[in-house]
Amino acid sequence: MAGISWNYVFKFIITGDAAVGKSSLLVRLTDQRFLANPDPTLGVEFGSKLLTIPEENKVIKLQCWDTAGTESFRSITRSYYRGAAGCLLVYDVTSRKSFVNARSWLADVREHADPHLTCILVGNKVDLCDSESSSDRRQVPMEEAELFAKEEGLLFVESSAKSGENVEKAFEDAARDILSKIRRGVFDDDRVSSPGVKLSKPSNVALDPGAGSKPSCCNS
Amino acid sequence: MEFLSQTYVALRGPTGAPQTAAEIVGKLIDRLSPATLLADRRAAVLALKGLSRDHKQDVGERALPGLLQVLYNDAEVDPDIGKATLETLTMLCDVEEERDLGFKNTDAILENEQALHALMALLADNNFYTRFATLQFLSILLQNRRQRVQSYFLTAPSGSRSIIAVLEDKREIIRNEAIAVVKSLITQSADIQKVLAFEGAFEKLFNMVTQEGGVDGGAVTEEALICLDSFLRFNSSNQTYFRETGLPSSLLSLLLFPPNMSMQELGPQEFALQFWDDQKLANASAVVGIIGLLVGSKGAQEQPAYIRCLIEMALASNAPTVLKTKALTSLPSNLNFPMSDFILTPYMPVPETNGEEWDRLEAATALDALVELALHGEYNGMDAHKRLSGGLMMRAAAVSVFENFVRKEERKQAFIQRLVPHVGSELLPNPLIQSLVMIPNSDTPLDPVMVASTHFASLLFSHLLRNSPRCKSLARSIKPQPATGSDTGNFFVPADTTAPQAPIPAETLAEDDEPPQTLCQIMTENLSLSLLARSRANNSDREAREWDRLIVAYLCLLSQWLWEEPGAVRDFLDAGGLGILVEPVNYASEGDLVVPGLCLFLLGICYEFNREPGEITRNTTYPILNRLGVDTLIGRMSRLREDERFKAVSPEISVLPFNTTPVSHLQKPEEQEGEIWFDWAFVDFWKSTYYTVQRGLSTEPDQLASASSGQTTELTMLVSSLREVIRTQSGEIESLNAQLKQTLSSNDQLATLQKDIAKLTIELQESEEKRKETDREHEDLLVLVDELSGKHAQDKARMREAGLDVSEDEGEDGDDDE
Repeated sequence: MAGISWNYVFKFIITGDAAVGKSSLLVRLTDQRFLANPDPTLGVEFGSKLLTIPEENKVIKLQCWDTAGTESFRSITRSYYRGAAGCLLVYDVTSRKSFVNARSWLADVREHADPHLTCILVGNKVDLCDSESSSDRRQVPMEEAELFAKEEGLLFVESSAKSGENVEKAFEDAARDILSKIRRGVFDDDRVSSPGVKLSKPSNVALDPGAGSKPSCCNS
Repeated sequence: MEFLSQTYVALRGPTGAPQTAAEIVGKLIDRLSPATLLADRRAAVLALKGLSRDHKQDVGERALPGLLQVLYNDAEVDPDIGKATLETLTMLCDVEEERDLGFKNTDAILENEQALHALMALLADNNFYTRFATLQFLSILLQNRRQRVQSYFLTAPSGSRSIIAVLEDKREIIRNEAIAVVKSLITQSADIQKVLAFEGAFEKLFNMVTQEGGVDGGAVTEEALICLDSFLRFNSSNQTYFRETGLPSSLLSLLLFPPNMSMQELGPQEFALQFWDDQKLANASAVVGIIGLLVGSKGAQEQPAYIRCLIEMALASNAPTVLKTKALTSLPSNLNFPMSDFILTPYMPVPETNGEEWDRLEAATALDALVELALHGEYNGMDAHKRLSGGLMMRAAAVSVFENFVRKEERKQAFIQRLVPHVGSELLPNPLIQSLVMIPNSDTPLDPVMVASTHFASLLFSHLLRNSPRCKSLARSIKPQPATGSDTGNFFVPADTTAPQAPIPAETLAEDDEPPQTLCQIMTENLSLSLLARSRANNSDREAREWDRLIVAYLCLLSQWLWEEPGAVRDFLDAGGLGILVEPVNYASEGDLVVPGLCLFLLGICYEFNREPGEITRNTTYPILNRLGVDTLIGRMSRLREDERFKAVSPEISVLPFNTTPVSHLQKPEEQEGEIWFDWAFVDFWKSTYYTVQRGLSTEPDQLASASSGQTTELTMLVSSLREVIRTQSGEIESLNAQLKQTLSSNDQLATLQKDIAKLTIELQESEEKRKETDREHEDLLVLVDELSGKHAQDKARMREAGLDVSEDEGEDGDDDE
């Protein structure tokens, strides 16, 4: 129902262990607020946001599917991987286990998703870390995560859904990467081959008389 | 065929002796094993298919595992064997003839997820027969064991992709079957709804609708729209996503309503006037349902275009009545639309053109058009005399929209304010009031159109008064203007009521001896008139029922008005209300519940809230109640709820089928005659107040209102908040008083001080003068002393000359010293 126009629609998924803050990241992105005690996500939840990438002069509509981290939903959430252009692989910097499990989530992504998918590793909850004080709860050193990301060819950022630090950056970095892939022709620009990327072209005019200003969303 | 018969011959055995079905199945199963040739396996499956019709049990018990193996291994390779296997399995799961067997086989097939996953893989096959047979098999599995299929579906590696792909199939038969499967698959499964939405189900369904020609399309369009509806209803995540897709505005385009029109522009004619048939009605109705879903869901940023589309469809179009009703009921309950400012142009069919030509009426506000629709029905009451259920439902829906709109107190007051005469301004006759005060003509058979108008007017008006003390008291000063000729053209008013009043211009009215009657007085009179007419013996059943209905309308409105409004009670009693109410109670027959029950209810309210001084007091009413017997009264009053017409009303249903006409099942329900007695708001009001009224009837006249204990929480909160206000205000007054006193006292001080100053100044002046006088005296004295001392010195000198001893004085000493 929005009347704002955009150049691309990117489908994102957010995945990772339970309780690492996936839903909070999404709510922070879409609503600019912190979800203090969210209920565990059941299945998936949808949220969206317009991003502007100034240096490319592009407006991007991010459609994010926030998936459940609970094991019982894993088979359901897998159905979403294939259709995504970007993936936020989230772990909790105060939980070693969630970082270790990130490997298995990544394996899942690699198995089911499009090979051109852009994946960013996000270490959430940095607000709980304070290297100067004794109450530092960090269990995953930044260097270690950075190295892991480099080895696996992932982007990397540490963020906090609570303070908002780096949340938008995480999504933006991923979106920039996808844009550069488009520019380099990883996706054939005329016929975008990734199911998660949709060009806004005034096609399918029959349905949408306002298509000139409002891009249609049908698969190009 | 030859091959088949050979197989049969082989199976029959050399002796030609008949074999049991079980034996044959056993032999055929052996042939299903992968060791045999594909052709043999195919033959065996075909044979089993033939057998499964008559020997379902044998085939099911023994051949299922073998058949499933063929499904897993051969179906993809060989479409023929695939088709035959799928058809056999479909037959085995059929529950129409042998129910238990069908379910048993279904359970066996769905024992694990393998079969379903195989089916999903088979869907990817583009072969017509494979796809079609797979969909049919899926459909029967879903029908038998939906939840199991749904849970397996979610774990299938490419389930959602395959399902979405078949929705795009160019072959119509497959596509239609696919919609049926999707509809069943997503039933009550939010997860599957979301996955399929993610895979693009919305776009596919929309494409299908457009390919079929939008709302002009056939049954497939309807199916696709219903499917879309079930994707969205009860699934807020999908609703959010759907809003993102830009498809919602296409919903408006489907109805030919331009999504980006400014509010000042009038609605386009191609939207308002369309050709309608049953299929189009069904399609449009599905679209309206989805729009209603979007505007009604929580967190929706209300887009005026969607609300406007519904409003224009209901109030200014030639859409079928059912669709208008649906548009009205689809409006959100917290309606936030400038109804009283928004302008639209209703249409009227040109008479005798069979709905092919339409006149555009003068522009009106949406609120006026809504009230008009409720009061008179569609197209100025063109079909109101038929009193079809459909038309009544639409008018009831309009009343509900009105109720929602005036739920805000300030809107209620603004509406009522328009009806109250102000000094210096001419009051235009209001159609709502006009319909409310139409005088029933008791000499001729009652006009059912007029009864319905008055009834709907009473419903609308009661929504304005209920729960609003301010409006109740404002309404007391409404003095209805007699109808004048100019406005009757626009609104349907029965000729006999307007004729005697029409020519009275405003000036003569003012000079009239009698002051114009208030609304309450007129209603009391009309009630009295109707009760009299009702008691006439020569009424037909139908006629009596009409009078009853009219009386019910008056009584319901008065009950809600007089409740907690002693002033209105006073007006009513002064107009002779007590006698009017007591009469029907005295002469009520046994089976007659509604009218006496309501009369007693109103009587109870009058007694309870008769708290203002006047001619008829609680003390004068009490003996009357006693004579009638309080227990009897209470019994009769509460028996209202035993009446079917009262019991049948629910928040959604207020229009009942007219039960005196034989119901013909050939007609659609909305084309049968209907009637309306109560609306839910009154039933709700009655249920929450009757106990207080009942208790009030048995209290002594000098006792305090029993209602005070039954106050609503709202009222209690209001009282406590007012108390709070009073407390703070009295505190303020006190402090202000103190300040005032202080200021006053300081003023006093100032005055005394000034007086002091004046006094002191005078004293000062006086003492100053005194001092000056003393000074002068002092000087004189000095001069005197001087003279004296001079004289003294002379005397001394003279005495010294005379040789007298003279004392040395200081002056001389001094002189000596020098």
